[in-house]
Amino acid sequence: MSNSTLILSTGQDRATPQVVATPAHGYRADFMADQANFEREALQYSRQLYSAAMRMARNPTDAEDLVQETFLKAYRAYDTFQEGTNLKAWLYRILTNTYINKYRKESRRPSEVDLGDVEDLYLYRRLGSEDTAEASRTTEDRVLDGLVESDIKAAVEELPENFRMPVLLADLEGFSYKEIAEILDIPIGTVMSRLHRGRKAMQKRLWEFASRRGLVPEDAERP
Amino acid sequence: MSHDCDCGDAQDQIYQYLDSELDAQTAHAVRAHLDDCDGCFDSFDFERRLKVVIRTCLTEDMPEALEVKVRELIREEST
Repeated sequence: MSNSTLILSTGQDRATPQVVATPAHGYRADFMADQANFEREALQYSRQLYSAAMRMARNPTDAEDLVQETFLKAYRAYDTFQEGTNLKAWLYRILTNTYINKYRKESRRPSEVDLGDVEDLYLYRRLGSEDTAEASRTTEDRVLDGLVESDIKAAVEELPENFRMPVLLADLEGFSYKEIAEILDIPIGTVMSRLHRGRKAMQKRLWEFASRRGLVPEDAERP
Repeated sequence: MSHDCDCGDAQDQIYQYLDSELDAQTAHAVRAHLDDCDGCFDSFDFERRLKVVIRTCLTEDMPEALEVKVRELIREEST
């Protein structure tokens, strides 16, 4: 990742960039060019940002507010963004920080996932407990087809914030571990362990949804 | 020995593999193991499909009015 040192200043700690002492003639044209450039470059990510915002805020009204605030902050700080660096990651950093600042009370929620003795690849292993590989495969297909959108959304939304963010950034957005580390300002090792635990917790929950929907054979439903 | 990756190694690296986080050589070794091992192949395939389902289900349609609103806000900010 040689060329991708992220410049992730979000402009949050500084005053809104002021346009001062700019000669009157060039200034307006520059500003318009910036605006057009921003709309072209940044707004292409709006749909993705909205999807992430929905899983953070958990309702459309707050998600829309978050997206609006993110773009406005990004626009105001756009002159601090270094062209050629990772614009998408920069926008996600602003989104994440905006969410965390706005919903700070969230941090009172439990920040650990209770995994008990949940094993790795929990869902796959539970589904694979049938007599033949073929039967297991059928159950796997049924579960992957039968889990509905609301199950998946609930499984993500129930994750505590510090696990939900890495899972969203990796599984929804496809960011690399390095990018996630920079967006969330945590070490890569922490990204990996939170992703691992977050995904495990999700799989446990998805198993519960699958059994509730009758997608798994009863004899597989061992406690 | 053309590659050096057993079931344990493969399972330990399943997410890094699926997240495209392994270096080329390690990824190649994992892939070679998957070619030889039905059990590991199945588990990787399941996790890969689950990832696709998750991604699809989490993607939302953005209200058109929101994009309009954002453009308005930016233009207001510029004037």
